Amino acid sequence: MLSWSARETDTPFDLRAVTDPTVDPIIPGGKMLLELAGAVLAGEATANAAEGVRLAVGEAGLVDAAGVIGNFQMMNRVADATGMPVGAGSRLRNAELIEDLGFDRFDHLGD
Amino acid sequence: MTNEMRSDLTVAFQDAWKGVASPGAVWTGRERVEIAAEARRARSNGHAGPDIDPLVAEAASTVAAHPASIRRRWVERVVGEGLGHPGYVELLGIVARVVAVDTFHQCLGMDLMALPEPIAGRPTGITDGRARAGKAWVPMVGGASITQALSLVPFENAELELLHGPLYLTFEQMSDPGFTRGLTRPQMELLAARTSAINECFY
Repeated sequence: MLSWSARETDTPFDLRAVTDPTVDPIIPGGKMLLELAGAVLAGEATANAAEGVRLAVGEAGLVDAAGVIGNFQMMNRVADATGMPVGAGSRLRNAELIEDLGFDRFDHLGD
Repeated sequence: MTNEMRSDLTVAFQDAWKGVASPGAVWTGRERVEIAAEARRARSNGHAGPDIDPLVAEAASTVAAHPASIRRRWVERVVGEGLGHPGYVELLGIVARVVAVDTFHQCLGMDLMALPEPIAGRPTGITDGRARAGKAWVPMVGGASITQALSLVPFENAELELLHGPLYLTFEQMSDPGFTRGLTRPQMELLAARTSAINECFY
């Protein structure tokens, strides 16, 4: 969805930032958004990261960011706990991405 | 920090809490709030509460705090040892929504919402008889799909979708790459991808 939405909206981005926090995602406000996600999922204080997001994308953007992170906390659990399979077609389309970013190490659905 | 809370989010959270507190297909309102409390305890490294069944506590805490550790064999065990598929799916829905709402508040440095008071009543027993075992680990209606993940227990699937829209996008809005609210779509998807990567969720 990231690659698709960026392509469709002509938004430059660096996909490596998804798995490497030292990489600038290029997307406006991206580094701040990633810091917020990292802080809250690590159980750390979020005040500084949230303020960075607010300065970068505004108050409404900060609220949206909290919503997106919350939603994927929910959907990740649903996918993991139901053993949601990733289709062969999706794997094939994203084979290069999976290899480049090392996503295969997340795949525990075969167990 | 003051946050401009969108009214649809305020309503969604209130509705979500009412849903957690209501009798479900398998669990009473009291049991559902206990499951929610256990999910919170697990994420804050607390010990299981004294009133919760150990198997229920194990399932709630694992889904809440260690979702990437879940394997088919574990699901089969907790289902087989007493939760049953409807009980497991219902528990999963409760835990997933509580984690979502809590994470939202934690992002913004807000106090967590107090868990709701249980709503009296007997479990409804309502499941969808069309759900069938398939490629996923729990029965679903119409084959394995993330939008149908909790469809064995229709109430849980509906509650999930009601929260999914305000937090992120409705399933209809997801097809619009130009959708913008406070964030552009690529900004939203960057967060989605990073959250999933940290959670080690390939899906």
